[in-house]
Amino acid sequence: MTETLLPTTVVGSYSVPEWLERAKSDFHEGRISRTSLNEIYDTAIKAALKDQEVAGIDIVSDGELRRDNDIDYFLERIPGIELPRLAKVHYYDYFDAAVRAPLPCADDLPGLGLVRDFQFTREWTDRPIKFSFAGPFSLAKRIRNEGYAQSEDLVLDIARYLNHEARELAAAGAALLQIDEPFLAGYPEAVPLAVKAVNLVVEGVDVEWALHICYGNRHARPAWEGHYDFLFPAIMDAHVDQLVLEFARKGYDDVVLFKKYRPSFKLGLGVIDVKSETVETAEQVAARVDRALAVVDPAQIVVNPDCGLRYLPEHVALAKLRAMNAGAAAVRARVRGEPVPQFR
Amino acid sequence: MLVELRPTERLRKGNGKALVQSVLGSILHAVGDETLDLEKLRIVCDWVQYKNSFREPVEIRPILNGSSVELRLEIGVDLRRATGEQHDINVEMARALARRDVSDRHYLEPWSRTTASLIWSFNALYWKALGLWEAVTGRPYEQALPGGESDARNAAGARDSITRLFATWDGLAERRALPDQLHVLEIGVGNGNQARVWLDTFLEIDRETGRDYYRRLHYLMGDYSPHLLDVARAQVRHHEDHTSTIVLDATKPSNTLGFLKYKTFFVYISNVYDNLPTDEIARIDGHLFQVETRAFLPAGPAAAIAEDIGASPEDLPDLVARLLRLGPELLAETEPRRFPGAHAAVRFWMKVWEALGLEERYVALPPLDEYQFAPGISGEVLRPLMEANGDLRMHVSNGAAASFVDTLPLLHPHGVLECHDIFVTSLAGYGTGFRGPGKYEGSVVNWVNGNVLAALGGRRGFDVTFRSFAFRAGSNITTMTAEVRE
Repeated sequence: MTETLLPTTVVGSYSVPEWLERAKSDFHEGRISRTSLNEIYDTAIKAALKDQEVAGIDIVSDGELRRDNDIDYFLERIPGIELPRLAKVHYYDYFDAAVRAPLPCADDLPGLGLVRDFQFTREWTDRPIKFSFAGPFSLAKRIRNEGYAQSEDLVLDIARYLNHEARELAAAGAALLQIDEPFLAGYPEAVPLAVKAVNLVVEGVDVEWALHICYGNRHARPAWEGHYDFLFPAIMDAHVDQLVLEFARKGYDDVVLFKKYRPSFKLGLGVIDVKSETVETAEQVAARVDRALAVVDPAQIVVNPDCGLRYLPEHVALAKLRAMNAGAAAVRARVRGEPVPQFR
Repeated sequence: MLVELRPTERLRKGNGKALVQSVLGSILHAVGDETLDLEKLRIVCDWVQYKNSFREPVEIRPILNGSSVELRLEIGVDLRRATGEQHDINVEMARALARRDVSDRHYLEPWSRTTASLIWSFNALYWKALGLWEAVTGRPYEQALPGGESDARNAAGARDSITRLFATWDGLAERRALPDQLHVLEIGVGNGNQARVWLDTFLEIDRETGRDYYRRLHYLMGDYSPHLLDVARAQVRHHEDHTSTIVLDATKPSNTLGFLKYKTFFVYISNVYDNLPTDEIARIDGHLFQVETRAFLPAGPAAAIAEDIGASPEDLPDLVARLLRLGPELLAETEPRRFPGAHAAVRFWMKVWEALGLEERYVALPPLDEYQFAPGISGEVLRPLMEANGDLRMHVSNGAAASFVDTLPLLHPHGVLECHDIFVTSLAGYGTGFRGPGKYEGSVVNWVNGNVLAALGGRRGFDVTFRSFAFRAGSNITTMTAEVRE
């Protein structure tokens, strides 16, 4: 993916400007066309990519700007998921989704359309790309299950759909895919099931895999509180290459779990609090990376924000990414024995 | 000409029809003698239910564009006082028209948006110096509330909220996700009755159920008035190990209570939002206007007030400004000949307050994104409300919006904000009744725009719902609840 030590990346979403929110709402209320909205998305994504490049981010994303929220974009594409009402008061609201019969076999159906999104991003940046999608456990949590005797089977069927899509993404050139499980922290007892489903998603897809688990970020608020020890040891069985976690808001005590369990996957280290508009300094970022370096080898760390930047104003998001990049660069230079750049 | 009759329900009763005919007849007769362009005239009839308000029975309000050119003229009539023993509509109308040429009012401030008016300085002074005000009136402020008491005393309401809170905590405890300390916050504690009833009920339920949540409970009481906090603290002395008090500005609670971010399970707010500064904006003929106001003293009362203290009416603006800046005690110290003690200064304050009026005009509203709605909140949030509801004039509840938005981050992911207040929950309500400002003792009261709060909460992921206060029949009070959606 990238040979850079302590590479910087994003979790996925980027600042959603107020005018884009209004355009999304206008679309849901029938005031603008799908064509116009798509043109707006294309323009916004190009700008988001440019921001990340200007900030010096090594691995960029499309900012997930086409997605109303972390769930619906996928649910409305999976055949067999019923969405009785497509009108929304707030574009960011979740659809009321239901499944009344087992989902049809993914192999027999066209994909979810994520490949087009990836290709558009590929066209507009030369940097490595992270492409993310919601994980099967979280998607299933937003579906009223009336079609499966065991809800576990719904989770696994969704995983099969995502696996089908991941294969197509890999074929289209995707090299880093990320599975987001924003609801898992609220259901600690479900970690084994979530891991089983993740392993179905990644099966046979030869890319670098990241798994992101946070404490929720709807409307820039945590949905749960707690500690990451609920993930261990079950998470050790996940066939992923990175575990992307939230620390900047919660503190770094849980980093010791990586010392205790010595997992084979890298740590995606959250160093930017996405729930606060206060911009971190590069020194703060460097200190946060240092906390992780005390227990994790630098080659095993990827530097990223705690979660998506969706709720931050654009200028704040950009400033935070700049600080993240500068902080990571300073630690990188120090670890390599090179001159440490001065913070500005 | 456009005639808008707002209190339609009230006018259906009694002699409403005759009243309207009489008032409109008088107005038409009066304007017929003037060189007014009838095509540009709006007549708006309200029923101002407050015993004391800032309005005279007839007011003339120019509707101006950006360069102060009069686009229209609005004649505002308070039907309740238009034809009573004390007022003659013909005389009131003639006075209002005469003021267009030469005003006999003593203005205390220049034109400004209503949130910047000195009525809010009076309001703040009332809560700061409440102890002195009560000493002079000889009655606690709660007696000024309609019905003579707050709904905060209601134990059934407390039991309802506590029962729901226990259910939430039970669920979290099952998942070992219940924090050690359980924070509850009350903003605007009044005299502490709510806190006492709530805590007594809490303890009772805790003993009944054996949950042992009381041991972990901490109830924080916040208020702008140090005097009220002292009174409230005395009320809950038997819960002193579980209570604290803190002086706070209700429009920015996070400034004081940032340590409670994401930790508060229950926030209770009663009759606070209706007492916070608000602007009014209006849509007239499809265009947006802001209501600007300037406070004044009518000539008659101004002369009487001035004479009482050996001053001239021209001295009053300066004396009022000093009263608001210094408070009654220091004013008395600096003007001992006029005010031989703090109580004399309070009596001056009361007379000025009773006579205080607000003159109004409409000016073009700046683009909504440039309208300073509340800290960190763009006026754009008002656009859907203003665009979807035709011509209307409404409060935007700036202070309530600021307070509400700044309180939401304090809530735990499973927390609930409950608010008892007078809400307008449908914008149509602004076309059918007078929603303020009125005067309650020394404070200002306006109905709160529930639609604005619902829109703000919705954008922040909260479901905001309204229901009539269930525990006292015939109450104007509405219960607003905000909790995380999904």
